[in-house]
Amino acid sequence: MTSFLTAFFSGTAQGAIYALVSLGLVLVWRGAGVVNFAQMGQAMFTTYIASQLIQHSYSYWTAFVIALISGAILGAIVDLGLMRPLTSRKNSKLLNSQSLRTTIPVIASLGILGVLKALAGIFWAGEERGFPSPVAPTAIKIGETNLAITGFDLFVIGVVFLTLVLTTIFFTRTGMGLAMRASALNPEVTRLSGIKVGSVRTLGWAISGTASSLAGLLVTPRTNLSPNTLDLLLIVGFTAAVVGGLSSLMGSVLGGFILGYVISFVNVYSAPENVFIAILIFLLLALFIRPQGILGSKEVRRV
Amino acid sequence: MLAISNLVTEFDSVKALNGISFQAKPGLITTVIGANGAGKSTLLRTISGLEKPSSGSIKWFDEELTSKSVESIVRNGIAHVPEGHAVISQLSVAENIELGGLFRRRSFRGDLAIATKEVYELFPILFERRNEAAGSLSGGERQMLAISRALVSRPKLLLLDEPSLGLAPMISAQIISIVNNLCRATGLTVLLVEQNANTALTVADHGILLALGKVVADLPAKEMIADSSLRAAYLGY
Amino acid sequence: MSKGIKPVRLKYKVIGRRSALLSIALFISFILLSNQFDPYNQSQLANIATLLIAVLSITLLTGASGQISLGQGAIMAVGGYSAALLVTRLGLSMWLAFILAIFVSALFGLFLGLAAARLSGPYLAGTTLVMALAIPSIAVRFETFFSGDVGLSVDYGVPPTWLSNLVGEISIEQWSLYVVLPFTAVALFAVLNLSNTRTGRTWRAVRDNEVSAALSGINIGRTKVIVFACASGLAGLAGALYGFRGLVAPSVYPTDLSLTLLTAAVIGGLRSIGGAIFGTFAIVFLPDLIEKITKNFAVPESVGNYLPSLTIGVLLLLTVILNPMGIAGAAGHLRHHRKH
Repeated sequence: MTSFLTAFFSGTAQGAIYALVSLGLVLVWRGAGVVNFAQMGQAMFTTYIASQLIQHSYSYWTAFVIALISGAILGAIVDLGLMRPLTSRKNSKLLNSQSLRTTIPVIASLGILGVLKALAGIFWAGEERGFPSPVAPTAIKIGETNLAITGFDLFVIGVVFLTLVLTTIFFTRTGMGLAMRASALNPEVTRLSGIKVGSVRTLGWAISGTASSLAGLLVTPRTNLSPNTLDLLLIVGFTAAVVGGLSSLMGSVLGGFILGYVISFVNVYSAPENVFIAILIFLLLALFIRPQGILGSKEVRRV
Repeated sequence: MLAISNLVTEFDSVKALNGISFQAKPGLITTVIGANGAGKSTLLRTISGLEKPSSGSIKWFDEELTSKSVESIVRNGIAHVPEGHAVISQLSVAENIELGGLFRRRSFRGDLAIATKEVYELFPILFERRNEAAGSLSGGERQMLAISRALVSRPKLLLLDEPSLGLAPMISAQIISIVNNLCRATGLTVLLVEQNANTALTVADHGILLALGKVVADLPAKEMIADSSLRAAYLGY
Repeated sequence: MSKGIKPVRLKYKVIGRRSALLSIALFISFILLSNQFDPYNQSQLANIATLLIAVLSITLLTGASGQISLGQGAIMAVGGYSAALLVTRLGLSMWLAFILAIFVSALFGLFLGLAAARLSGPYLAGTTLVMALAIPSIAVRFETFFSGDVGLSVDYGVPPTWLSNLVGEISIEQWSLYVVLPFTAVALFAVLNLSNTRTGRTWRAVRDNEVSAALSGINIGRTKVIVFACASGLAGLAGALYGFRGLVAPSVYPTDLSLTLLTAAVIGGLRSIGGAIFGTFAIVFLPDLIEKITKNFAVPESVGNYLPSLTIGVLLLLTVILNPMGIAGAAGHLRHHRKH
């Protein structure tokens, strides 16, 4: 029974983080049509910034906030500096191949990932270092018995839950959120409504950057921080987004939790070495059975 | 207010607009008619900025529009309802209308509420269905929604591209009559592109006839109706 | 009428001859080059020759048919492990093992292609990335069979006596070059010819516009699968050659390898075979070049370690922004301008 509880609670906490990563991916996919493979590189970079601040005696929460803000700025820079020039009219003439037009932004995001990793190595010597958690990562006790969940897990679940609530409010009840949804669904009509679709898209990148930063801050206490630690997170986040539906924000969150449970149960009931394979199998199954994801909608291709 | 001179818009070296010049008549309905491919839609799309002309000028109250972005042209008081029920199907009716007025919210918050109310009074069926997804509306209702989205920003110039496309004659007549009344009541200037020249000329004050990207006639509507040779040559009746 | 048909046939033959000459020319120039170099650079040349085959697989896959794979490194692992296992467990000769590795990888690619054909753009990229991570971990999972992290030790063996009698003393590095280069030449020949035939045109049609291609009667799914199989065969061969430098283990085929190969292909020019050659030279020699430059400056070790990957990343970004067609594309532009 305890192993089930362990798997369940750890799955929930991990799933919460995957949901964040997945959400960030889907935000950029819906807003800009690009799968940002550099996302976790951005997270790694901003977490290093936070780590540096903490090492120089700043409080955890100061570093936390600054990391989030850096995430937003970094996301905006990637859009303004790379993605916009890539998709500008001048460049689209060079690429007369339909499939190349979709692959070039992917390759570009991989380039950014490489650059961010190298910069992190150069600035901070690429050594693996620990990262603190604001809540002690020890199991919670009720009386004498240990619950299979730590204070830190609860913190993670709480933070992610809060983020999801804020995000939902933003998208459904604010004007900017409406503008963002509209820009992703129909850019032409949105432009005709007097809205600067380009700026809205950059905001989407910034929000995605913040979500990824948050994910980085929440996951590194457990995994330690080095230029490569977050790669796995990207792959899981991507799988989560595909499983839940790349076209659905709710779906990405759902996918994140599903993956969290899958990985956690494989870890506990099978063996840790099987995790990668389990992820691959899960991804392939999802792509074969329901490619648009659980909550995604089928894309109609008009000829 | 709107002065177009020698406008040329090209698509891969095909001149859709080949030197168009005319002036809009403030407070009146001007209809742009002509055969398919004459350049009517392209004209509206060039005015609103969706297409960039290769030469010529569009002056809006003495400001040059050809170098401006779509968003800034809209914010300057020109609203464009493109052809084909330009609404966002996945959003609700209310959200579509809200979208149209978003950019004015910060400066005209109270005014936006009033504009929204007025639009619902114009098209009561939209108020009834305001929380439903726009994709579930009928063709006529969607067209009303598209026009509402444009109107809620209180434009000075309304560009209407084939509002009757795909609609039953009764419904399209209803819509055009509503637009007509609106124009008379508020002094809104309307540039109406229509395939059905007959209906268009009945309700319009002025007519511009396009053929192969050029202005062939620029006359008061009554005169255009009366000119049978013109009608026979370009409009087929 | 019949006069119209013949020239087309001739053209094919001429091209076949030309690509054969090119391949042989490359072969010879590499051998000559290697004689000028010290053992370290000789082994670098061998690396280039090996990785070129893998980069060519990307040129084929992405450049010729528009599918993106971030997991060519994983397919290299499949080829490497196949060859290594055939030699260590079944005692086959190295050469036979290499050839069989091509088929094993191609078969693997066939299955992968079946899955991939239904995917596009980001889905395909993400899936192949997951594969790049998952496949090496299989070796760890089934430790007894694949020897886990430790891996399988294999090498090129010794040069046969008749050859050393002919050419004189052959160092290990020279021998590795002699082993790899024939395969590189054949791979080059194959890829050059593929792009000039009807098959190549079919692939390009799929790349440029799937809908039009389908409307022209091309079986999109089947085409994509075939391309994947061919590209995987190439990558597997490269992986086998790569592993036999001394070790076949998960650490030899990390995720970074897939990305490095893609970078080489992009920098040189995704559609150009000459670009693939340039790109492979670049990624292999760049770290050495940078080290030579930084020796003159007092550069801390951490910076020195990461400078090569930074440079490569920046090159990739510059290529993608300034000229997505890579160096080959820029060269094409220059040629175009000079004509006018």
